[in-house]
Amino acid sequence: MANLASAKLDAESHLLLDQTLLQMPLQLARRNLKTAQRYVERDIASVTKDLKAAVAAATKGSATQADALKALDKMIATMKGLEKKLVTLQEEEMKIHRSSKARIEHLEELYGMQSLMDVKYDGWSRTRLSRLLVDYLLRSGYAESAALLAKEKGIEELVDVDAFELCVKIEKSLREGHKVQEALNWCQDNKTALKKIDSDLEYQLRLQQFIELVRAGTSKDGGDDVVHDADEDGDQGYDTAKLLQAREHAKKYLLTPPAGSTDIGLVGRAAGLMAFDSDTEVEPYKTLYSQSRWSDLAALFLHTHNSLYSLPGRPLLHIALSAGLSALKTPACHSIYTSVSSNSASSTTTVCPICSTELNELAVNVPYAHHSKSIVENDPVVLPNGRIYGRERLKKFNEKVGTEKGWVRDPIAGVSGKRWREEEVRKVFIS
Amino acid sequence: MDALKDEVELLLKNDNLGRTIKDVRNTLDLLINARNKVAADPQAAPMGLAKLQTPAKQTLDSVHESLKKINGRANKYSKALDKKFKDKPLPGTENDALSSHPSLINRAIAMHLLREGQFSVASTFIEEAKAHPPHPEPTAGTPNPYLQEAHDNEVANGAFDSKKLQEDFAEMYHILHELRENRNLEPAIIWARDRSDLLESRGSNLEFELCRLHFVCLFVGQDEYGYPTDSTEGPMRAWEYARREFVPFSRRYAREVQQLMGALAYYENVADSPYRMYFFNDSAWEEVATSFTREFCSLLGLSADSPLYIAVTAGAIALPALLKMQNLMSLTRAEWTTQHELAVEIPLPPSFHFHSIFVCPVAKEQCTDQNPPMMMPCGHVVCKETLDKLSKGSKFKCPYCPGESLPKEAKKVFL
Repeated sequence: MANLASAKLDAESHLLLDQTLLQMPLQLARRNLKTAQRYVERDIASVTKDLKAAVAAATKGSATQADALKALDKMIATMKGLEKKLVTLQEEEMKIHRSSKARIEHLEELYGMQSLMDVKYDGWSRTRLSRLLVDYLLRSGYAESAALLAKEKGIEELVDVDAFELCVKIEKSLREGHKVQEALNWCQDNKTALKKIDSDLEYQLRLQQFIELVRAGTSKDGGDDVVHDADEDGDQGYDTAKLLQAREHAKKYLLTPPAGSTDIGLVGRAAGLMAFDSDTEVEPYKTLYSQSRWSDLAALFLHTHNSLYSLPGRPLLHIALSAGLSALKTPACHSIYTSVSSNSASSTTTVCPICSTELNELAVNVPYAHHSKSIVENDPVVLPNGRIYGRERLKKFNEKVGTEKGWVRDPIAGVSGKRWREEEVRKVFIS
Repeated sequence: MDALKDEVELLLKNDNLGRTIKDVRNTLDLLINARNKVAADPQAAPMGLAKLQTPAKQTLDSVHESLKKINGRANKYSKALDKKFKDKPLPGTENDALSSHPSLINRAIAMHLLREGQFSVASTFIEEAKAHPPHPEPTAGTPNPYLQEAHDNEVANGAFDSKKLQEDFAEMYHILHELRENRNLEPAIIWARDRSDLLESRGSNLEFELCRLHFVCLFVGQDEYGYPTDSTEGPMRAWEYARREFVPFSRRYAREVQQLMGALAYYENVADSPYRMYFFNDSAWEEVATSFTREFCSLLGLSADSPLYIAVTAGAIALPALLKMQNLMSLTRAEWTTQHELAVEIPLPPSFHFHSIFVCPVAKEQCTDQNPPMMMPCGHVVCKETLDKLSKGSKFKCPYCPGESLPKEAKKVFL
């Protein structure tokens, strides 16, 4: 009876992991819509303005037929351009909505299953694993593998490979290319949304630009004309133009830290930077100059990107996996003794997933499952070596390996192992 | 679910940019009309333009209007989503024990892909993971992940032998493919014969089962490739096969071999004979394939089904209970991943039980290596700590029966 209860499938609570599955396309659709809105506002404003001017000119009588035609042609061109842009956006929009629909239908399948032992659940859960894997791969920046896996499994509509493409590209440009431009463009595209979540990504990017300008300006060997530097102004070889540019940049972008910034002293420190060379050992300037700021920026970008699309802070695979590891782990999984009930030594048992090479090391740090009752095979007996088996399993094994009548062998030791007389096998009481 | 479906249906059918485009096209028509008029009649320019103003404004307004409408629909859908998932927050991510071992996760994924036979995805993944090794992040359990990197970076530095594993699984899939698709037992039999001793000492009948299936195939009139042959020859060929191949089995499987040979007597109407079950078993192929997969993986020390699949499925089943517990424990400021043992019992279906569990009936605690189960001479089992407490070194009574014994008479047992 207890088994039946534990196998019951409650679809509603089973959807815990699947919130982002539906949130992501919604966010994408909204962004798409925002873009449309921007186009519409701009183009309509321009058309309205043009029309007004044309009417004014016509009523004044100063416009010729040619002028009027020219004005109309301009308006028509604008609207045609708008139409074209909207058609592209609509294609994208429909794609997004279709994927939403496919996802809802996918989740709905779950409501048709009553039991976790259902074959259909098995298939569904395998699809879920593929989804989570693709999500993990995308987040880790392994876009190619993600796309390939999605394709092979035929689950393109259930994952967001395309949406992550840009994200991966920008992340890479920060981490590896040490370039901020693409990330800044992205900030521009998502300006309002970023403001809403009080993101300081743009500020940090601008700060990095400033740091790079100062670095270029103060570096003694990095400049273009190292030899001449010493003569110019006697200024220790600083590239004054670069430093001036840095000051302008700071004035323009850095004076007002964003609302979400918790680091008030940052501006001051950044300003102080100009007094130190890029190879300085003095903190905090050393940290500001550090190349590791780039990977921090990349991480910050990923973090911002994920919260913008209301993705959880960690990959869903982590969440599911660590819960699963704990639910399955037993003290036997990392025991120094061979587990009698689950090992690879004999074909009477199956290998436990936590003991299997794939997960064993990962599971070291998670707690094991709580059990309040012993779970043992029916009719347990103990061999003289202390190993406990279900009587039936022991008997079956010995039949299979053809142990001589009246004798018993330990499945773990196999046919070449020691044999005992059947009388030596004792009943053991486990409550 | 239905509410969500309806909303999406509306988004797909009505409230999308199609609306806006229609309004834009109306405006365009107006403009083009006006242009044609002006072009046809030079005098009409001032009039035509002035007349254009109001309808143009209307259509342009409706463009805005339609966008608003679409936005409204998206908001409704968003609300429906929020409602659906209102009581389903994601578990907190502060105590994610896995972020400090991204390389181990990558290895698990690579092995999963290989064992699922997705070799091209696996090799792409391994390449990508090598090119951009993951960055471990500190977590509560592993505050300084970088110290462990040495053994942690198997995938990254190539120590993880994906090639060997891939070859192994490629062989497995080849054999399975032959079994399932082509009904060809030959590769499986060769594989099993090469490992005959190993399989036998594991108590596996795989080799015999494969040969028996081969015998059956011949008997009912199929040649080596599963194509039907002249049925009258079948039993004869089966008999020849048995004489040739069954000798090594004759000792261990004497009874089974006898049964098969006995069936030969009924070669004309085996379907009505008592031997029917050996010859008309539709699931025989699938059974053999499953037991082959199991043996194959076991010999590699791996579980038969993907551990990643089992663990993630178990995780999804466990999450609601874990989440509840997490909420309770966050009130008391305890975290579930830093404990040795979870605080609540997670009910998993029986197919997710692998090890036997021994919970000491006195201490109510699971046994561990440090505190192993001990069997008293009467056959009752308690954990070592309980035993020490009960006996205090001298003769004591079993808590479950009148039996008395000395602590040194208790014996460590293994489950």
